[in-house]
Amino acid sequence: MIRRIAFNLFAWTIVLAVAFPLFWMVLTSLKPQFELFRRPPTFLPETWTVEHYWTLLSSTKFLTYFKNSVILSTTTTLVVVAIATIGAYSLVRFRYRGRESLAFLVLFTYLLPSVVLIIPLYLMLVQLGLSNSILSLVIAYTTFALPYALWLLRSFMAGIPEDLESAALVDGASRLGAFRDVILPQLLPGIISTALFTFILSWNEYLYALVLVNSDSARPLTTGVMNMLVSSFNIEWSLLMAASVMMSVPLIIVFAFLQSYLTRGFGAGGVKG
Amino acid sequence: MAEVVFKDIVKSFGSFTAVHGLNLTIAEGEFVSLLGPSGCGKTTTLRMLAGLDFPTSGSISIGNRVVNDVAPGERDIAMVFQSYALYPHMTVYDNIAYPLKKRGVRKADRAPMVQKTADLLQLTELLRRKPRQLSGGQQQRVALGRALVRDPKVFLLDEPLSNLDAKLRGYMRVELVELHRRLGRTMVYVTHDQLEAMTMSDRIAVMEGGKLQQFAPPNEVYREPANRFVAGFIGTPAMNLIDGTLANEAGAWRFASPGITLTCPPLTDDAVSGPACLGVRPEDVLLGEGPIRGQVQVVEQTGHENIVVVKIADGIRLTGRAGADHVWRPGETIQCAVDVSKAHVFAAGPSGQRLNRPLTKDQPRLAKEGA
Amino acid sequence: MSTVRRTPLERQYALIGSLLIAPTVLIFCAVIVYPLVSAVYLSLFQVFTPTLEGSWVGLENYRTLLGKNEFWSSLWTNIVWTVGTLTLQIICGVGMALVLHQNIWFRSIARSLILFPYFVSTVVAVLVWKWVFNDLYGILNHLMIVAGLIDFPVDYLGSMPNAMISVILVGAWKYFPFVVIAVLARLQTIPDALYEAARIDGAGPIASFWDVTLPQLREVLVVIIMLRAIWDFKEFDLIYLLTGGGPVTSTQTLPLLVYKEAFKLNQMGMASAYAVVMMAIMLVFMVIYIRRTRSEDDT
Repeated sequence: MIRRIAFNLFAWTIVLAVAFPLFWMVLTSLKPQFELFRRPPTFLPETWTVEHYWTLLSSTKFLTYFKNSVILSTTTTLVVVAIATIGAYSLVRFRYRGRESLAFLVLFTYLLPSVVLIIPLYLMLVQLGLSNSILSLVIAYTTFALPYALWLLRSFMAGIPEDLESAALVDGASRLGAFRDVILPQLLPGIISTALFTFILSWNEYLYALVLVNSDSARPLTTGVMNMLVSSFNIEWSLLMAASVMMSVPLIIVFAFLQSYLTRGFGAGGVKG
Repeated sequence: MAEVVFKDIVKSFGSFTAVHGLNLTIAEGEFVSLLGPSGCGKTTTLRMLAGLDFPTSGSISIGNRVVNDVAPGERDIAMVFQSYALYPHMTVYDNIAYPLKKRGVRKADRAPMVQKTADLLQLTELLRRKPRQLSGGQQQRVALGRALVRDPKVFLLDEPLSNLDAKLRGYMRVELVELHRRLGRTMVYVTHDQLEAMTMSDRIAVMEGGKLQQFAPPNEVYREPANRFVAGFIGTPAMNLIDGTLANEAGAWRFASPGITLTCPPLTDDAVSGPACLGVRPEDVLLGEGPIRGQVQVVEQTGHENIVVVKIADGIRLTGRAGADHVWRPGETIQCAVDVSKAHVFAAGPSGQRLNRPLTKDQPRLAKEGA
Repeated sequence: MSTVRRTPLERQYALIGSLLIAPTVLIFCAVIVYPLVSAVYLSLFQVFTPTLEGSWVGLENYRTLLGKNEFWSSLWTNIVWTVGTLTLQIICGVGMALVLHQNIWFRSIARSLILFPYFVSTVVAVLVWKWVFNDLYGILNHLMIVAGLIDFPVDYLGSMPNAMISVILVGAWKYFPFVVIAVLARLQTIPDALYEAARIDGAGPIASFWDVTLPQLREVLVVIIMLRAIWDFKEFDLIYLLTGGGPVTSTQTLPLLVYKEAFKLNQMGMASAYAVVMMAIMLVFMVIYIRRTRSEDDT
């Protein structure tokens, strides 16, 4: 019994140590700015305040960035997941020439570094006159999100018994009818999982946003918040921490309600490859 | 008309050929089993008939219509899968109604049809359930119901009983035979279980290595196996197959191997001197007296009989059946004989052709012979 | 096998399949294949970024690059970073997974807390850590002084080797949850019978870790290591945001070098050459990983 308690304490000490920076972020965001410079530092805020959140929303461009990020991530997710779903169906359940090489290409691009693509993509989008727009970021995000989603969905698709589709065909469905009636409902958890991953990936992306967008009207949260760090004269840490917390809100929601989908996605694409 | 004809069917997957030139005609209303070990091409054959796989060459017709280019849904067939393949997100009712829906049966008309099928299979209480809430046997009946509901010309069944426990399997065999008798539809049944094939079929198509070995009624497959493969595959305990040599002595064929020498039953003109194989069913081995001398190795008691394995020479064993009343002891020396009138002779090789003439009922029983 | 005659139905299916994959193929060509090819093409030019005017220089960029100290030092930094952070990720990941595999209190909450750093934006992670690392008011310096480990505040990001160590640590913190989840999933599939057998054979907890757990984890660890090696090698955000490659260039890895060359020094041709060389290096890992995955697929 004592060993058990000791082990639990040990385990939880590590867990809390790992999570400490995140608690620290929340606590800092709730302290008044002057309290940050107290020595020794206070652990819990002496005065609890949400003024930084208020400042963030009222007198910075945070809301614009947030809106941009929502539009950007949602659009990317919808486009990518839609295309990847039918693409994965095709890759797993159809036979045609080049299918194998295509699967290979998907895996290859899944591992491809962004910095290799970023220069030509930048040139391409500038030439198309799309730079500095949310659309340019949607296009750029597709380069990593589509291979990722395809790979994930491909493995979810492979987990659906082939007999189900066969049964639907014998029962009188066409290929696409079987897809709609039988495969899609079975794939739904996989689709949700993939959508969440794609959304988080887009939400967190930094490099493309840094290179392709330099106007506040199209800037997403990642570069926007970093800009607040760079542009402010003295760094207002509690404001930045408040921004960080706000930026993580979608993630916290996903964690609270949909975590099983995240773990499932890990199993499907993350590790098996 | 729902005659099913396979004509010169070849199916290759890349460099692997699963079915080699299959020719098979299944009569209207017949219950035919495709029987063979796994990988023999029986499931591929069934899937080609269903339109789920495509023959590399040859043609398949159902009721005088060549169906090679007909989509599975338009072949007027129904199929029961080994995994049942019930749609997990649909209720039992929706599962059974799905083929009707896909054929454009109006919603109002579907209900009585589903109800009738459910009544027939005692599924009425379960119509609102999802497949995962059902037991294996219930799922099996739903799969059957989905096939029955629209009254197809041909039923395809792919090892439908293999996931049930032994008792339920026995029950369902009887049910299926009864169903076949009542519906009078053509049924093609894939199985690796010879008991199912023997008990249910009008005719059995025994397959091995992508080739049809024999296509005949169960008792003929049992009594007159076309070749050594069929002989060894059908029957439990398996037929004794003893390798030896065949020699023609003054117009009579004699078979000889260590421990056994005998005069063969009448052989066909294909018989030649040289290596050959003698086949004797365990029930045609007579234990207790006779010219063959051996030593009892193993005795398996099944309750109503004893299976006795006798070693008659190095590496040559003879399995025989004996009544339950006499218990043979391992190590005991035993005399035995072979009923030559029911013995078979096969050409050399794993699927050597049968060389003896078909047995006729009134053929006189030849004397017991041996050593 | 092109001689095999296909039935109309088969051809129709193939057509449907091709139509379904068509959007993917189009997008792949437009945003991945074409840029990839033009990256190679660009690397043969000298391009000035603001005007986008270029002149053909052939392999000159590559010749310059291989003779440049900065390239080799960045490559070395890249290797140090990858090996360092990967090692920590694996050790901490496996250790944490073993702990979480035990039946500890509130296990699912503990798992969420461990998982969180992996999903949180790099920007957030970096901001938080910069605040923790802050030399004057940071909590880390305070705790270290209180604990008596140091006498004066330490500059964690502005001096060497502290900067490299910090980057490696933050990288490990951010990415080790990946290892935890992957290993945890595998641990759950190890049959209890194996442990029971080991116990009957007289193995203690440590022996059963070495003789049962580790051999069972070998497969998944190889995959994780390859995957993470590829991903860590190409990491940009974390290092760029944390140190910007500094102090001077001491934490500058190849992706940062590419970025600097293209968008700070405005030499797109040269930057492309760096990127191509970097990809060539990564290709080795990628090919190994892909071949492994494909051979698994076949079985």
